[in-house]
Amino acid sequence: MTAPGGAATRPDLALASRDAGLRGWSPQRMWSVAGAVVLVALVWGFYAWDGAQTTAVLGGTVRAATLLVLGAMCGMIGERSGIVNIGIEGQFLMSAFTAFTVASMSGSLFLGVVAGVSTGLAMGWMLAAMSVGLRTDQIIAGTVLNIAALGLTSFFYDRGRSLGQPKYQSIELGPLADLPVVGTALFNRPPLTYLALVLVVVLHVLLLRSVWGMRTTAIGEHPGAAATVGIDVIRLRYWNVTLAGGLAGLGGAYLALESVGTFTRAMSGGRGFLALAVMIFGRRTPLGAYAAALFFGFTTALQGQFQLNDTFDIPAQFVGMLPFVVTIIVVAAAGLFGRMRDPAALGQPYEVR
Amino acid sequence: MTRLTKRLALVLAIVALLAAACTGSDDSDAFKIGLVTDTGKVDDKSFNQSAWEGAQEAAAALGAEADYIETEEAKDYENNINLFVEDGVNVIITVGFGLGDATIAAAKENPDIFFIGVDQFQAEALPNLAGLIFPEDQSGFLAGALAGMLTETNIVGAVLGTDLVPPVVAFKEGWEHGARYTNSAVETISTYHPGGLDVAFGDPDWGAATARQALDQGADIIFGAGGATGNGALIEIASQEGAYCVGVDTDQWNTVPEAQPCLVTSAMKLITPGVADLVAQAESGEFAGGNYLGEVGLAPFHDFDSIVTDDMRTTLDDVLAGLEAGEIDTGWPPG
Repeated sequence: MTAPGGAATRPDLALASRDAGLRGWSPQRMWSVAGAVVLVALVWGFYAWDGAQTTAVLGGTVRAATLLVLGAMCGMIGERSGIVNIGIEGQFLMSAFTAFTVASMSGSLFLGVVAGVSTGLAMGWMLAAMSVGLRTDQIIAGTVLNIAALGLTSFFYDRGRSLGQPKYQSIELGPLADLPVVGTALFNRPPLTYLALVLVVVLHVLLLRSVWGMRTTAIGEHPGAAATVGIDVIRLRYWNVTLAGGLAGLGGAYLALESVGTFTRAMSGGRGFLALAVMIFGRRTPLGAYAAALFFGFTTALQGQFQLNDTFDIPAQFVGMLPFVVTIIVVAAAGLFGRMRDPAALGQPYEVR
Repeated sequence: MTRLTKRLALVLAIVALLAAACTGSDDSDAFKIGLVTDTGKVDDKSFNQSAWEGAQEAAAALGAEADYIETEEAKDYENNINLFVEDGVNVIITVGFGLGDATIAAAKENPDIFFIGVDQFQAEALPNLAGLIFPEDQSGFLAGALAGMLTETNIVGAVLGTDLVPPVVAFKEGWEHGARYTNSAVETISTYHPGGLDVAFGDPDWGAATARQALDQGADIIFGAGGATGNGALIEIASQEGAYCVGVDTDQWNTVPEAQPCLVTSAMKLITPGVADLVAQAESGEFAGGNYLGEVGLAPFHDFDSIVTDDMRTTLDDVLAGLEAGEIDTGWPPG
């Protein structure tokens, strides 16, 4: 076989490049670094040109990315374990609802976050019970979560209720917040955004380096083989899907208590599904997903910006469409070159024989 | 096992559906009022809610029954109207520009039922259909005129629903022209939600993020106009010290208490009395088809009463007089 691209056509190397960043300088990594350098240069350029607008766009980018990456991390833990979770939208919505309600009743934002995360865990456990325990079709199980969340939150929503206090406010991280370009965008943020950033890094290390991460990958790729080396597949899938729900729960709390500051019906607005696209785009790694989430967030912020200053007469709808078009291109291209592959046992229920 | 699974899924789905569908009806000879919302919710704290309050007000005054159906998707407009037709109601209120065509069709088919279309301009008059319309441009102009006088950075912003809905565009044009009318140095920065009718009024997260972007580039007074999307913007502005926000449709001081730290006023459309008035006309048999021009105005300044100086009030009075006399160009309708 002739191999023009080298790595792409050889399955062993293709596999190796899936956790690139650990094994030296693959072509993919070189491209990533080159892309990052160009990006940084561009941002510096824009900042020099118009600081206020660049700060506004970067701030909007980080803000939109936070919710997306939390949802994407929830999705990727599930998918790496072999469970598709399309119920993230429902997990967001339900957690946003309980976070808001508890924070409003107790007067404590922190209790609200605890309630949101707990709700996410409960929803995750429900998904695990249906798709791992009862071996339901995973798409249907996720859909049940979405419909149930929309119905229940609409029914129990008390329209007169308000938070009764300001939402989470930005915290300046000392001198870091005064840095040019990224100061406001990264180091003058509300608390849950910082927490999400920490979680991205921690989960990245855990998923790609820890025993738990390896076992998770194993039960998603070949649960039968994993079972033969003594991994309790059912148990680990249960734990993973349930705990992953906590991340979506944090996302819901972020939405209600930090990003918006109230609850309205159906407020997740499809971001749970967008998180799945972010997860795929980010190759099911937390850092990758964060990069993808930043890109999605960037286009969101940009389309607002294009309207706010009338410099470019680009229709808002066109810029709003960009992340979706790019996702299709990336997924299609990655599929063509065989670089991106779903976990082999994704979506298949596992039965102990 | 699969059976159990299916049953579990079914039960959950039924619970969800029961929870989602919460309208009921009982039979009696009372005068009946039915209200169909646009894809926003009846408790959106602005537009749909004020129409529903009008229906409730009329029901209380007339001893009538009022009920509502929330539209989930634009394709259901016709079905939802027909549900009330089959239910035998006397008046059907459809809320929103988007329901215009479906309302006209239903009014033609059911000449015995009175229809009230909020925000629906009637090009040709039907005897049983009244379009309740408002000069949103004037309402926006008044609010913009105040904003032009209040801004210190000379940048005023607007976070809006969608330009697919003409009344929203009218608000925006009026707001921008008003700000420039009282402050020639002002820069106006405005944004519409990029989504379609199904999401543009129900996306508070986008509204909040976009309002933050406008604040980051120096806007110090921002108009949030677009259901829950606009409310998200108002709440975001409330967490910025020294920034003002302006609500829309109703006095949002009451409907969005979270926005009170910044809410100077609201560009109101008096939907509630307009709807109540039209329902009363239908009940008494004085109903006239065609267009019914509702009233607009600024909401009270509440906590900000002291920052609006006498000079500003005089200017606002002059602007109002000029608008009523038709001497001021609000930029709407265009051309």
